[in-house]
Amino acid sequence: MRLRAVEHRHRLPERLKLTLIRLVSRRRVPDVVKTLLYRPEFFGRAMCEWTHAVMRGPSAWSVGERELFAAFTSRLNQCVF
Amino acid sequence: MTDPGRRYAAYTARLVDAVLTQPGHTPPEQRRAILARATGTGGEDVPPALAAYVDKVARHAYKVTDADLGRLQQAGHSDDALFETTVAAALGAALGRLERGLSALSSPPVPLSAMGPHPLTPSPSGRGGTKD
Repeated sequence: MRLRAVEHRHRLPERLKLTLIRLVSRRRVPDVVKTLLYRPEFFGRAMCEWTHAVMRGPSAWSVGERELFAAFTSRLNQCVF
Repeated sequence: MTDPGRRYAAYTARLVDAVLTQPGHTPPEQRRAILARATGTGGEDVPPALAAYVDKVARHAYKVTDADLGRLQQAGHSDDALFETTVAAALGAALGRLERGLSALSSPPVPLSAMGPHPLTPSPSGRGGTKD
């Protein structure tokens, strides 16, 4: 993570969530999650709602197909996800 | 079938509204200019020091380096200001692509013979990418 604030300076509720994720998954928390949980009222909360509607909401495409589209798009953008 | 351009419009509007109007470390009008620049619909009034970074995030975010952010931090931009700048630029780029994708869906198909090289043709370097 290039911005130290987004890496380390989450507020208490989000810091607790990150700790919980780390303990349960026993892995480093992905940067995208840290980004979504940093000042969530600015970006993360609305972004998560949008993503959930698009990726899990009613659609002619299955969840698997939508995940494949997302992974493929990330590949084209040279974004590891 | 639901118009794909409208199905998620309320979610998109809420997202744009949050990024542009939430209190932050950058003026809302600056975020608005950054978003417009990244969308490709203006944004000439983005401060010159930020314009190159905004363009990089919008066109090929994978090329952003530690040095890019280091320069901006040394110039006095806080992490929070850079977070807001980056989000506004990425959101603007996404909205621009969404808009262009939806308008492609609603316009008549282009004959294959009129198309350039297939976008999925591997590049000489062997890497994919939307490039610019």
